[in-house]
Amino acid sequence: MIRKTLIAAATLATLANGAFAQDKLRIGVEGAYPPFSFKQADGSLAGFDIDIAMALCAEMKRDCELVEQDWDGMIPALKAKKFDAIVASMSITEERKRQIDFSAKYYKTPARVVAKKDSGLEGTATGLAGKRLGVQRGSTHQCYAEKMFPEAEIVLYGTQEEVFSDLALGRIDAQLSDSLISQESFLSKPEGADFAFLAGDHTDVDCYGEGVGIAVRQGEEELRDAFSAAITAIRDNGTYKTVNDKYFPFDIYGGRPDGM
Amino acid sequence: MDLLIEYRSQLWAGLVTTVQIALASLFFSVALGLIGAWAKLSANRTARALAGAYTTLVRGVPDLVLIMLVFFGGQVTLNAIGAATGLWDYLEVSQFAAGALTIGVIFGAYFTETFRGAILAIPRGQIEAGISIGMSRPLLFRRIVWPQMVRYALPGFGNNWLVQLKTTALVSVIGLQDLVYNAFAAGRSTDALFTFMAAAFVIYLGLTALSDLGLRALERRYSRGVQRA
Repeated sequence: MIRKTLIAAATLATLANGAFAQDKLRIGVEGAYPPFSFKQADGSLAGFDIDIAMALCAEMKRDCELVEQDWDGMIPALKAKKFDAIVASMSITEERKRQIDFSAKYYKTPARVVAKKDSGLEGTATGLAGKRLGVQRGSTHQCYAEKMFPEAEIVLYGTQEEVFSDLALGRIDAQLSDSLISQESFLSKPEGADFAFLAGDHTDVDCYGEGVGIAVRQGEEELRDAFSAAITAIRDNGTYKTVNDKYFPFDIYGGRPDGM
Repeated sequence: MDLLIEYRSQLWAGLVTTVQIALASLFFSVALGLIGAWAKLSANRTARALAGAYTTLVRGVPDLVLIMLVFFGGQVTLNAIGAATGLWDYLEVSQFAAGALTIGVIFGAYFTETFRGAILAIPRGQIEAGISIGMSRPLLFRRIVWPQMVRYALPGFGNNWLVQLKTTALVSVIGLQDLVYNAFAAGRSTDALFTFMAAAFVIYLGLTALSDLGLRALERRYSRGVQRA
């Protein structure tokens, strides 16, 4: 019985691999999540996810076709073989892992501490000891702040906007949140002009998860590993940096996959 | 406004898809509705049971669930058959056909009831009179049943059609780029969601207004014999 199952599985695997080797690789993308993926006026797709997908295809020497898919049908379409992989800023979560497999992360916007430019603070446990550090209540950042900065006085807020406005008013010394959000909604605005990131990316897996990966169907280890290897390769050869710098003022990869 | 002009080809492409899906599915649902109404009123017990099961099932399940079930479930089933028989590895189910067919099947159930009610509204005596003077079945249908059925069915038909037109927005979930999908994508991409949603609103309003005009013309035509002077 077991042997029969094994033979059947092997046959299926051969069939699947046969198709895998010759066919175009179809990649599911979104198109309504700027700057990661968005539509230009002529209907063509652009954005970080799109460029990364194309860079990975070039690295794997595969012929790729982008398939636009509404977010709600993304995972069902992958499972129904409408396409072979998803490159659409999909966070790697335990719940999704029960249905699909993920490559290594291809980005994970790090959390960073923001403080006044001339504060002289350091974004470390000792550097923030006794200082008032603002975070959003119930967020991944609260989890991390309590873990990493136990001696800081942690001030909780209902929304991230309140954290920013109290930082601007000087009611807190620093705040911890997603670097991309800090950049887009605070540092690049007039009220954030006197503020800057403290050194250090925070990407703790326990609090922040594993980041954003490329999804493939379960059992397609070969494709999954090819993506993971290609991500490492474009990190090393500078392609990733070129794409990254086109959209973001800092590296959104967020450090090595094992955490810090 | 400039953004709308910049993205006009997107809005236009979306509008064309929406209208195509709506008309194709209308064709399916009217055909299914006529067959369903015939089955429900027929003397054949199996036909009645089948039609009853169809309308009960389809009208009892949310549209979105059915669309995902037919499209993704259908594809998974196809893949499984292909894998089991070794005949194919992957057969593409056309999104347009799947979308139009599924919406057609859903609204066919509503049209079944609309047509059934319309046929029941025709006085029984007229049909008996037709039979008694020796009209054949097709002639009876053409001269007596059809013209009156259409007249009775038109208000319900208009209702169904307007709902059907708007239900086509659900096809974006299976990857079709209809008006709502394109407007949403353009709105998110340009950070002007409200502008594009407002544009979609106006376009839908235009489509329903046009439909209204058409329906009123049809109603006039099929009421000729009974209009008051």
